[in-house]
Amino acid sequence: MRERFLTGYNDFVLPFVCGMLFVLGYCLVGLVRIIMQLPAEDRKKFFISLITPKTLLKNIKDIFLKCLIHVDIWKRNKLLGYMHSSIAFGWFMLIVVGHIEVFLYTSDLGAKALYYPIFFRYFVAETESTMKGALIFFLMDFFLLVVLSGIALAIIKRVRSRLFGMRRTTNPSFLDLIGQYSLWSIFPLRLLAESFTADISGGSFLTKSLNYVFTEFLSNHANMLPAWWAYSCALGIFFVVLPFTRYMHIPTEILLIPFRNAGIKIVNARKGFAKAQVYSCPSCGLCIDACPMGVLKGNIKDTTVYLNRQIRRNNEARIEEISDKCLLCGKCTAICPVGVEGDKLRIAQRSVRKYNFGSDYSNISASEEILRCNKFVNNNNTSVSNPDKERVLYFAGCMTALTPVIRKATESILSKAGTDYEIMDRDGGICCGRPMLMAGRFDQARQLIEKNTEIIMGSGADTLLLSCPICYKIFREHYALPGIRVIHHTEYFDELIRTGRLDVRKGGTRYVFHDPCELGRGCGVYDEPRNVISSAGELVEAAKNRKESICCGGSLGSLTLSFDKRKAMTENALANLTADSPDEIVTACPLCMTTFSRYADRPVTDIAQVLDKCSGPGRN
Amino acid sequence: MKENIVIIGGGIAGLEAACQLLDLGYKPIIIEKSDHLGGHVADWNCLFPDMTPAGDIVSALISKAADANIFLNTEISFVNKLQDSYNIMLSNGISIITRIMLVTTGFSVFDASKKEEYGYGVYDQVITNKDLEHWFNTGDDRRVNDSAMNAIGFVHCVGSRDEKARNSQCSKVCCITAVKQAIEMKQKFPEAMVYCFYMDLRMFGKKYEDFYISAQRDYGIRFIRGRVSEVSENIDGRVIVKAEDTLSGKPVKVTLDLLVLMAGMVCSQDSTKVANMIKLPLDSDGFLKSADNVADIIDSPKEGIFYAGACTGPKTVPETLAEARAAALKIHLYIMKK
Repeated sequence: MRERFLTGYNDFVLPFVCGMLFVLGYCLVGLVRIIMQLPAEDRKKFFISLITPKTLLKNIKDIFLKCLIHVDIWKRNKLLGYMHSSIAFGWFMLIVVGHIEVFLYTSDLGAKALYYPIFFRYFVAETESTMKGALIFFLMDFFLLVVLSGIALAIIKRVRSRLFGMRRTTNPSFLDLIGQYSLWSIFPLRLLAESFTADISGGSFLTKSLNYVFTEFLSNHANMLPAWWAYSCALGIFFVVLPFTRYMHIPTEILLIPFRNAGIKIVNARKGFAKAQVYSCPSCGLCIDACPMGVLKGNIKDTTVYLNRQIRRNNEARIEEISDKCLLCGKCTAICPVGVEGDKLRIAQRSVRKYNFGSDYSNISASEEILRCNKFVNNNNTSVSNPDKERVLYFAGCMTALTPVIRKATESILSKAGTDYEIMDRDGGICCGRPMLMAGRFDQARQLIEKNTEIIMGSGADTLLLSCPICYKIFREHYALPGIRVIHHTEYFDELIRTGRLDVRKGGTRYVFHDPCELGRGCGVYDEPRNVISSAGELVEAAKNRKESICCGGSLGSLTLSFDKRKAMTENALANLTADSPDEIVTACPLCMTTFSRYADRPVTDIAQVLDKCSGPGRN
Repeated sequence: MKENIVIIGGGIAGLEAACQLLDLGYKPIIIEKSDHLGGHVADWNCLFPDMTPAGDIVSALISKAADANIFLNTEISFVNKLQDSYNIMLSNGISIITRIMLVTTGFSVFDASKKEEYGYGVYDQVITNKDLEHWFNTGDDRRVNDSAMNAIGFVHCVGSRDEKARNSQCSKVCCITAVKQAIEMKQKFPEAMVYCFYMDLRMFGKKYEDFYISAQRDYGIRFIRGRVSEVSENIDGRVIVKAEDTLSGKPVKVTLDLLVLMAGMVCSQDSTKVANMIKLPLDSDGFLKSADNVADIIDSPKEGIFYAGACTGPKTVPETLAEARAAALKIHLYIMKK
């Protein structure tokens, strides 16, 4: 290869160079700002994680697999996965191979390094030795073809998203459209531009063949410059609009992954990690289909993708509306390919709300409550009477108080298994704090958490048993209970069966298990309830289950959804559960149970009732 | 007269309409699903506000209607629409061709176990208004313990005016029924404390207000304004009711030996089944839809089909009887006109 021009410069590179410098500058400023916005503790954690080999390797692996290959999208839909990885990985390889090419064939680059890797073919001519780089020529054409195939699929997807497993997709904003059209035009223009110069600079199967086929037009070098100008302009426009479009997710995600791997959590509703999440949203719209509020084409504009858009626009009225409406079922978080935490983002928005009054719970006396449930403690209130034996404290919670069958069945099972237990809230207890936490009222939640912690620590128990997953999640995540095992009744029952403390007779009933949001996606408990049900009868699965289970619609996460609007959601969730025509719907959450039994055409029971019906004392 | 008139449902509405039609010289056919006539009223003990024995009313109606063609234990299998009449196939194999039907399918008592927080079917001391009437009649209910009856509670509006129970309408008669049953319980157990938990008291009928005042003044029944939040069971098996006294703004908690849930009225499954067969529309409250809710409550939107009683919404006994008479007259005029 030899350079065709002494100066190694042509005016057409300007749009690209300006655009690139702008976007790099923008990202750099943004990066510094976001890092400075992190709380000092998180910032330290982040920098340490960057020099820790283990997290560093994980960062590189995650960035490669998520940003370039898009493995999560592959798992969801092959065609959609191919579309994303062909554009991302193909483009990345074009840049990499382009750089290799430039460094192999030119010396003394200087400022030319800014644009040579992009427009190399314009500035060089083929020489005798060029064919030794035939592999590189081939690779460049090959990856261009890969990207072009991805672009073609993207265009098809705009028209027929169903082919890609998406029923609904996002409505792009005006700038998104400009970004999208310039992105779509970059690669065809590159092909055109490189085809013009293929007879000078050389090329491979794609560019060279094209040059031969349309020799009349493409060999006319007068046509050459406009094509290179168009290519550069497309790149320039794309880079200039990029920070204001959904394509900002490309640079931001590279930052989000190390943040997440460093264990950083959302603290400020709009700054730092939250901001990184908002800008990482690629507006793919996968959350639209996932959202349980989307039945009957409703509430589409209240999904996480639109929340992110409104946060970027600082549209406070809409941010409040979207944040308050959400059921906080966490499904959008579970399926989000970049890991935007839609539920936590919304709770953070709720937490900045100013209230005129805040409830004060300081007058609740924990010591009185302790006296009601301290049977494990000796009379002198200092030591535990049977330190070696299992001592279970059962916190039924307020939802279970409204569904007394669950408490009755759970108590019956505990007696059969010979468990030494005490009920923490037999005569009314203190709320676990989760509803306050969901409403973003962290101070109120903290007060309740402190009271309950005092009661639990004073009870002398070594196990805290919950039958409500809403309570379970907060006890696991926000309570510090040293020496106490926090366990949900599904897990405890599974253990009782496995260790032979409970004898179960298998019946012929067909049960379907509904994964409650808080238990499944919230706490990752999927297998234990299924084990319990399988030992009691035949387990069938819902059309969408486990991580993709559909919220019952009764969630207390939503602050504004009215009762009648939830009906359609519940009916949709029921249709999903009864796909395999089970005899009975089993769940492990009192709220799901109440909500479903309102509209279900078959019995809805808690797992405790199912197990209680068909179990007896075990041999051990 | 040869005209076939089919009355669907042998409750008091169907019986009263049959009596009137017999007097007018027709021979109506009554189709009753269960093995006895009289419907819900036959299960009741006394009727407010004069404590009229329900049995007297039902037996008088049955003896007067004895000349009608009565099919007990019979359901409608299917209905075929003919040119200007209907062919009704009964479960006993008989088929009837008629152009006139009177729907008197009535109501169902709300299934109180759906309001799980009140513990019906879970705790032993929780019964419904219907169970209590059954106990008044037979004295047979193991949940009612005569020997230790120190405190009794009544919960109004169970499954009425309750969106979450899918019933937003008022069942009309439960307020006064609760007052009546509270008085009856106080008469049986003068030492017991009797509480009524209500959200509103709707004393709309003749002498109802007097009845309510008497319950407070003469019987010392305690009326607490506020809905019950939850019911639990204590160690010795009594039920604990938690509610809010919204007039004093304080939470209340009482321990009771018996809790009676005033289950409301919902459209009966039979009404919906019949409505499906003859393609009658349902109103937004779930009951059958009349041609007009003010001027024409006993007319259905279909020609030749009439309503009487609680199939179009909650009604008291006198209202039901009045509608049955009106329907009988309407049917007579309908036949005369043709």
